[in-house]
Amino acid sequence: MEPNLLLIGLIQALFVLLTAPLYSGFSRVIRAKMHSRKGPPLTQNYLDILKLMKRQEVIPAPATWIFRVTPYIVMATALLIVMLLPLWTWQSPLGIVGDVILVVYLFGTIRFFVAMAGLDSGSGFAGIGVSREMALGMLVEPTIILVLFVVALHAGSTNLGAISTAIGSGRVPFITPAIWLGLAAFALVSYIELGKLPYDMAEAEQEVQEGALTEYSGRGLALMKWGQAIKQMAVVGLFLSVFFPFGNAASLELVPLLIGLVLFGVKMGLCYLVIGIIENSMARATLFSVPRITWASLGIALLSLIFYVVQA
Amino acid sequence: MSAQDFFLLSVLLAVAGAVAALLLNRYGRVANIVTGVSGFVAALLGLVAGMSVLITGQGFKLMLDAGLPFARLVFNVDQLSAFMVVVICFLTLAVSLYSIKYLDEYLTKNPGVLGCLINLFIASMLLVVTVGNAFYFLIFWEVMTLASYFLVIYEQDKQSLRAGFLYFLVAHAGTALIMLAFLLLYQAAGSFDFDAFRVIKLAPAAASLVFVLAFVGFSAKAGAVPLHFWLPEAHSAAPSNVSSLLSGVMIKTAIYMIIRVCVEFLGAGPWWWGFVVLLIGVISTVLGPIYALTQHDIKRLLAFHSVEYVGIILMGVGAGMLGLALNNPVIGVIGLMAALYHLLNHAVFKGLLFLGAGSAIYRTHTRDMNHLGGLAKLMPWTALVFFIGAVAISAIPPLNGFVSKWFIYQSLFGLGVNGDFMDKVFVPLFAMLLALAGAGTAMCMVKAYGSTFSGLARGQHAREAKEVPTLMLIGKGILAVGTVLFGLGAPLIAPRIATAVSSALRLAPMSVTDGALQVFPGIPAQATLATPIIAVLFVLLLLVPIAIVVITGGAKAGVRVDATPWAAGYKYTPQTFIAPRSFGQPVQTLFQRLLPGKITSREHGHQYGPTPGKYFKRMEYNNQIEDVWERYLMTPVAKAVTWLSQKVQVLQGGNLRVYCLYIIITLVVLLIAIDILNL
Repeated sequence: MEPNLLLIGLIQALFVLLTAPLYSGFSRVIRAKMHSRKGPPLTQNYLDILKLMKRQEVIPAPATWIFRVTPYIVMATALLIVMLLPLWTWQSPLGIVGDVILVVYLFGTIRFFVAMAGLDSGSGFAGIGVSREMALGMLVEPTIILVLFVVALHAGSTNLGAISTAIGSGRVPFITPAIWLGLAAFALVSYIELGKLPYDMAEAEQEVQEGALTEYSGRGLALMKWGQAIKQMAVVGLFLSVFFPFGNAASLELVPLLIGLVLFGVKMGLCYLVIGIIENSMARATLFSVPRITWASLGIALLSLIFYVVQA
Repeated sequence: MSAQDFFLLSVLLAVAGAVAALLLNRYGRVANIVTGVSGFVAALLGLVAGMSVLITGQGFKLMLDAGLPFARLVFNVDQLSAFMVVVICFLTLAVSLYSIKYLDEYLTKNPGVLGCLINLFIASMLLVVTVGNAFYFLIFWEVMTLASYFLVIYEQDKQSLRAGFLYFLVAHAGTALIMLAFLLLYQAAGSFDFDAFRVIKLAPAAASLVFVLAFVGFSAKAGAVPLHFWLPEAHSAAPSNVSSLLSGVMIKTAIYMIIRVCVEFLGAGPWWWGFVVLLIGVISTVLGPIYALTQHDIKRLLAFHSVEYVGIILMGVGAGMLGLALNNPVIGVIGLMAALYHLLNHAVFKGLLFLGAGSAIYRTHTRDMNHLGGLAKLMPWTALVFFIGAVAISAIPPLNGFVSKWFIYQSLFGLGVNGDFMDKVFVPLFAMLLALAGAGTAMCMVKAYGSTFSGLARGQHAREAKEVPTLMLIGKGILAVGTVLFGLGAPLIAPRIATAVSSALRLAPMSVTDGALQVFPGIPAQATLATPIIAVLFVLLLLVPIAIVVITGGAKAGVRVDATPWAAGYKYTPQTFIAPRSFGQPVQTLFQRLLPGKITSREHGHQYGPTPGKYFKRMEYNNQIEDVWERYLMTPVAKAVTWLSQKVQVLQGGNLRVYCLYIIITLVVLLIAIDILNL
């Protein structure tokens, strides 16, 4: 393993760890602005986390060790995903450790542990939230794999760095129907994966008390929220590194890296802006209306596959 | 002692254990100990034999002169057979330890007979995967089927008898087809020896016929859709340690034979062979978890996942066959290697899950998850190993389930890159369906663990449960360690399996690892995976949240254990927690077409509450899923068989003179036939 790449991976993890509350705070600010409220400051989420950390943790009686370790596992897994993504380089920092399939299954790992912890708490609300969350997984994951598979076929490798390089360097032409349709399908499903309105049925606060998080409090809740914020950034990051690697550093020199870092921050901010606008202009969908959009995205992904096959 | 001595000793010991257990039947516990210990030692010896063949790469051949002129008793243990021996023995090792205590459940039900059947079953599986002659193969195959049939009906209740009947029917229909396939091969080769089968070259039409017969015959035994319907019945009816062997290894012997006959004997076939295998695999893979999600019997739920995993293994086999058809040995070896790796991993975690479910049943005497719950507090170790099994089967990296699934994805990906038009169209779709099944498995395992171990106990027995005896825990512990080792040890295990495959197919050896930490699907540029590094990084990253908690003073904030979870102001009862039925309900709605059924609710007449009749009425809510396969496939077949056997009864009037007439007619027909054929 190249030490420089590993270092970049660590910096990526640190950067996302530290800015995740900022970006989720940005979402709150957008929401307040769209409500014509003054809203919380951008740093509100850091303050919330610090406050929660100092609070006593209350654990329900049926809960076991799963409930207690899950916040730690969620954060560690989310950081591992971040280290695998080529966020501001073309190479994947941990490219030799794993590929895009590993990344998808690590997202599945987070889902699995959150679900297990939710049931472990014994709460009825968590049970409903978990059931919905896992059912959503069945709708979302197939399309994610299909899109990524097709893009990887373009690049001839499932290595994220290879995909990023192929698209970023123009070896795989970006302006083709296959890529654009893949992008559209991936944008739709990764939006659902974010768990934001109108698709937040698993975490719905007003409905099922934040689903699997119902019984969390104190530092458990703080870590869980923080971990979820990192995961959301990782979802957007995966989208960016596969479909918008433009401007990322082709080599591991300081200047391109800095440019890539700044551009990444801006790209991420723009994505959060769009997400925030969508999130606040819609009412919650019902669980059983989700298949409509996942079928649509699956259809788009299939079109992308057909265009790829015809091109090849 | 050489590998073959170890192997022979292992088989003899299993048979001896079977006989001894039968003789000791009246001394219940002693018989159980004999059963378990002989199985354990036999497995240990078998492991040594198999491992030494795999490590040295030197197989062995045993020839026994049995007095049949047309068939020699040959055992030919090459690396592929040795691999199967290792898989069988590893699971047997754990199951035997577990059985010593678990069989105490059967003290009043002839434990010696049960032990005898189990050991015979183990011995027959070892013989099935090593024998090198089609005639003796069929004999051992039949012994295996019968031993497992008697194990399935051991409980002698209505459900197990029905399950046994189905199993008997499907297994023998399959055997009939296998027999035909072997007869065709015999006709061409002039011998029943597998060695003779290897060298012949069949005409394309004959080869395709053999392929279809063998594939259908063996996939019936493997439990692939559409011949899967016996599997959930049989695997849930058998005692749990037997279920573990049935799901863990017996159905795999059929997969092994599919590889032997359809890939090794017949060689690279036309494109559609591989595609049929892949397609059957995909259908099983998708339907397995969707059906599993609607189950509330924990063993049926697990059995449906066996259908799924057989499907995934067949996907690997199919991808490999397509690769060979394309004349691409890299994809061929990777596909088959992925299939065999998955076969090993599935044996480990499915064995573990069945033993875990068995432990819950051992203490609660119910398989219905509606009456379980809350066992994590009462049986913490059982909960822990079941959880590890659930993590592994849900393909959570870096455990073993993920690694082999990753190889399956990579073999599909290789086909997508190098395949022809049809491969390019279908392979991404199959990868997508594999992901769908994966998400379904994760959901189902969350349901299985949650309904059994989380919340509060919903039944009397579950409330009084306590941890199972240590021996049972050790048995499960071995498998739990296996799930971790076979995942992290991928750089050591994958090349061994790849060598076994390439030597069986007589291809040049292929590199799948850099020798230290990574594995890759033949070509490093396609993708790499380093499970040991993932594990190390994960552990290091766990320090981040811990450090955060320490730095921000969270560690000092303390913990309070509350009485009950919040229930919106109502009293928290065991029923507040989500029921197994409702958990799968979103899926039932989302996949309505595949799961036709109806939800009914009924108000009960008597009412209770503070003022009778005023506030509460008891509601009954019933969610019935109709079994499509039972209605459209199983019932008609069963009816036809019953009808036919009733008609045949006419022949058996019991009149001796009529029977003599039959014999004479047969003789005459045979004489005429011989005359016509000029034999």
